[in-house]
Amino acid sequence: MISYLIRRVLQSVLVLLVVGLIAFAMFNFIGDPIDNMLGQERTQEDVDRLKAQLGLDQPFVVQYLRFLASALQGNLGVSYEQGRPVAQILAERAPATLELAAVSGLFALVAGIVLGVFTAIRRNGLAANAIMTFSLIGVSLPTFLIGILLIYLFSVELDWLPSFGRGDTVDVGGWSTGFLTTSGLRALILPAITLGLYQMTLIMRLVRAEMLEVIRADYVRFARARGLSERVVLFRHALKNTLVPVITITGLQLGSLIAFAIITESVFQWPGMGLLFINAIQFVDIPVMAAYLMLISVMFVGINLVVDLLYVAIDPRLRT
Amino acid sequence: MKTFMTVSMLALGVAASAQAEEFSWAGKTDPQTMDPHAVNSAPVLGFLNNVYEGLVRRGKDMSVEPALATSWEPIGDGEGWRFFLREGVTFHDGSTFDAEDVRFSYERASSEQSDTRSWFAPVKDLVVVDDMTVDILTNAPNPIFPDSIANWMIMDKGWAEANDTQRPDKENGNYATLNANGTGAFMLTDRQPGLSTSLAPFGGWWDTAEHNITKATYTPIDNSATAVAALLSGDVDMINPVPIQDAARVDARDGTTVVRGIEARVIMLGFGHDRDTLKYTSMAGEANPFLDVRVREAVAKAINVDAILQTIMRGSAEAASQLVSPAMNGYSDANNARPAYDPEGAKALLAAAGYADGFSFGLKCPNNRYLNDEAVCQAVTGMLAQIGITAELDAMPVQNYWPELRADNFDMYMLGWSPGTFDHEHPVRFLVTTPNPEKKLGSWNFGGFSNGRVDTLLPMIQSEIDATKRQAMIDEVVDIYQDEHAYVPLYVQPLVWGMQDNIELTQRPDNFFILRWVTVN
Amino acid sequence: MSRFLKFWDSDFAWGFRRSPVAVVSFVVTLILILSAVFAPLLAVMNPFDPASLNLMNGFTAPGTPNAFTGDSFLMGTDDQGRDVYSTILYGLRISLFVGFAAVTLGLVLGVTLGLIAGYFGGWTDTIIMRIADIQLTFPSILVAMLIFGVAKGFTPVEYRDQLAIWVLILSIGLSDWVQFARVVRGATMVEKGKEYVQAAKLIGRGSLPIMIRHILPNVLSPVLVIATISLALAIIAEATLSFLGVGAPPTQPSLGTLIRIGQGFLFSGEWWILFFPSVTLLALALSVNLLGDWLRDALNPKLR
Repeated sequence: MISYLIRRVLQSVLVLLVVGLIAFAMFNFIGDPIDNMLGQERTQEDVDRLKAQLGLDQPFVVQYLRFLASALQGNLGVSYEQGRPVAQILAERAPATLELAAVSGLFALVAGIVLGVFTAIRRNGLAANAIMTFSLIGVSLPTFLIGILLIYLFSVELDWLPSFGRGDTVDVGGWSTGFLTTSGLRALILPAITLGLYQMTLIMRLVRAEMLEVIRADYVRFARARGLSERVVLFRHALKNTLVPVITITGLQLGSLIAFAIITESVFQWPGMGLLFINAIQFVDIPVMAAYLMLISVMFVGINLVVDLLYVAIDPRLRT
Repeated sequence: MKTFMTVSMLALGVAASAQAEEFSWAGKTDPQTMDPHAVNSAPVLGFLNNVYEGLVRRGKDMSVEPALATSWEPIGDGEGWRFFLREGVTFHDGSTFDAEDVRFSYERASSEQSDTRSWFAPVKDLVVVDDMTVDILTNAPNPIFPDSIANWMIMDKGWAEANDTQRPDKENGNYATLNANGTGAFMLTDRQPGLSTSLAPFGGWWDTAEHNITKATYTPIDNSATAVAALLSGDVDMINPVPIQDAARVDARDGTTVVRGIEARVIMLGFGHDRDTLKYTSMAGEANPFLDVRVREAVAKAINVDAILQTIMRGSAEAASQLVSPAMNGYSDANNARPAYDPEGAKALLAAAGYADGFSFGLKCPNNRYLNDEAVCQAVTGMLAQIGITAELDAMPVQNYWPELRADNFDMYMLGWSPGTFDHEHPVRFLVTTPNPEKKLGSWNFGGFSNGRVDTLLPMIQSEIDATKRQAMIDEVVDIYQDEHAYVPLYVQPLVWGMQDNIELTQRPDNFFILRWVTVN
Repeated sequence: MSRFLKFWDSDFAWGFRRSPVAVVSFVVTLILILSAVFAPLLAVMNPFDPASLNLMNGFTAPGTPNAFTGDSFLMGTDDQGRDVYSTILYGLRISLFVGFAAVTLGLVLGVTLGLIAGYFGGWTDTIIMRIADIQLTFPSILVAMLIFGVAKGFTPVEYRDQLAIWVLILSIGLSDWVQFARVVRGATMVEKGKEYVQAAKLIGRGSLPIMIRHILPNVLSPVLVIATISLALAIIAEATLSFLGVGAPPTQPSLGTLIRIGQGFLFSGEWWILFFPSVTLLALALSVNLLGDWLRDALNPKLR
């Protein structure tokens, strides 16, 4: 077990190193940061001076090694755009993204399970079929369009919910939270639905499929035969057994919720890391892009690692 | 009475729910720093004009008026300018303004680390005469110098020294990146880079306040549709810009209004003048058709600018004949006509030049730099196709665009130019003069247009004191670049701002949003 | 013909005929595919030919004649004076082409790597699955930008328009292969342990024939389901990439590019520029998704 653990962690570190290398190789193609940093009246001299100063005249491998060297000392560099430490900027932006992802995940989980159970019980009912079909609309339109349509309907036409941003936030020990104010909570609704819709559909379908299988399983038939009420059978026995795969999937999806918040955040001007990343691409802010990508990689690789280790812990046969 | 109250509350919309004098506005990008000397970019300088002030400032009609200097006069025979400073001015932190602050701000703004350094290229030295008088000595007679320093902002020497920010530091940032201490009408109260920036009125301001704002907050909103939604739903009081296509709707809607104006920026097409062959063509190896002035003229005649203005720009822009708009200093009234739309004439010109069967070439465009830039380039492609020449359009985000132009990867390209000095000399220096890195000339003349007479005239224009003689020389330059079709000027980009009906403001042609002219009713 | 009759009588076809949702979505998908294939015959103009456009026709509302030119258009025109109906037909072509090609790429790559990883295990498996981790880390937008940037350096400008399409296919296909690989790998590991594979090994069959003849047929059902769902996802992904500025160029727009352009007119009153492409995309993705759904249930032996 220990040797497996060590091997698996080493592999993960290798994956991270490769991700970083690929990231630095592609920064050259995203654009040139110099033009954004120098004004209209810049000269070639200024351009060359700044390039040398930022180390952009070096091959990307050298740039990468420099980044790694300082990252290992806890220094993620300084943003080209803001002239501030990247670590500080990420720390400011992380709460917004994490809160959005958490609420979206919760929405996806709750709505997904409720609708999934319902559509499984009423497998051939009209309402269940309608829900199944409508839920697909959520995955049949691009996220940005869904977001814009929600803004159009709920902010502009009905004027119920704010059109952008996070509302008022409260600072709790360095963590800015939107959970404690009305405007913060209201601001969460539309982005959370936009971001969570896809996952909700996914979970709903998964729950439905698992439920349909479990309902036919022997022990559920047996429970029914014992004369237990339908409600007890469904919820105590059937649903409980579907939850393990559902929670696994939700855990795995949490990572992609954070990574793919990019679109939702840029539609709603949600001040999180995804919006930061989009702005960084526009500005070719290499330190910010590099740090964000590494952060997302660590998260993905970490989640993968944990899931793999859990499986191994449960099933010793996989330890080969 | 109660009914009346309710009705008026409703009419005021969301502004009524907040305190009436709180004002919030949104733009496309965040000012990247609060340091007035670190970067030379319109979002930064425009924003900081509310916080910092210069010796002179621009009024509602762009004219230069006294600010921290009460008056100025030329020294001797064009050796420089003497500025008399305003008494009793204090910075936001309470310290007093004097000549040492001006000297310090000159050193800071013209230092190696500053992007605004080029403004001081004509300056030899700045001499403190007494506490309230400074002499700025120039290398050559410089008649437009006071006009060129409206964005040079004065920072308190003591504050900068106390906070160790004697020089701007764009790469690593320092105290002045996040904090500000100016003499302007508003103080910086909260700065969250990329998210929001808040200002409050400065009680000790030397001038009389016209505004009634108690708090102002700026938020960048990148996505245009979201910005329009924010205005329509009352979440912000003003947005800049309103996408041109939405202007009519925003204006017609109850509760919101649009203010339109003409910006200083001229949108034009440029050619690759300095190469023998085309870079992107099916007829590889043959001569560059754009070397022939008839072909360039054909392009100018093939483009139906009126149609572009009527559809894509929705009637919000004006056609351009020169590299500056009529509102700019040195505009040539004698050359105010642009070539008429004449596709048949264009075809005849092409045939005369030996290109009756057309040719193909590469057209480069940005797709997020100017208003509707990509749509305009698409329309240009269609119009050129109608006279038989095929433009291979390649539109890209601006972060890829400038490197591409600098690497000479174009046959034709789109460019927008806003003269920082509001003078015709500016685009002539940057776009028309033969590129010369040592003398810092023609640095945005990507196509390498070159004309000996223009090169001779530029230094004469720069040092001519007599306005009539100066204009005559500018007219001659315009004659040359128009006859040569060095560029094809298309139109002057419009300014379209949207706001709630209860807001009064003034729109300045440089697209700077000046808070001290805002009233919330 | 007898083959067709045999298929018609099969459980699979019988189940299909009994499901109205499946029949309707199949018909809709088929109509959309056929309109894309025959776009040049159905369209009233070629929107990809700049010389055929009249800018003055811009923003004509559906069914009402243009104020300047008097021309009338079934679904109106966009900002360039392009007939929206014709542009949708041509855009559908690009979206479907990108979708099918990307899924094919992801499928071939994923099935191959999944089979290899599952069959051989050990280091081969580790390397392939770690590459999958790297792949998952990169949002497809970044993959698209990377490939676009690299490819741009090598392609002359006259091929740039087509280049964008190939970049889309490559980047969507590349972000797609992982799920194919995971499913196939899992199934292969299960099948590998079964007696018939062991038997085939014993009689000296090579690895490649075993994989192709014995294991592959057993993993095809889930692959078919994933492929169908992926087709819908790929078409949506193309639209999303368009929104982020790395989609099909506006001179040769896909449905996604049309929606990206159209969303700029949501508030300005020209609803048709956004509405018709969105409805087309919705119809396409929804019917493909519903087909995939039905297929999943139909091919799942436990639900029979």
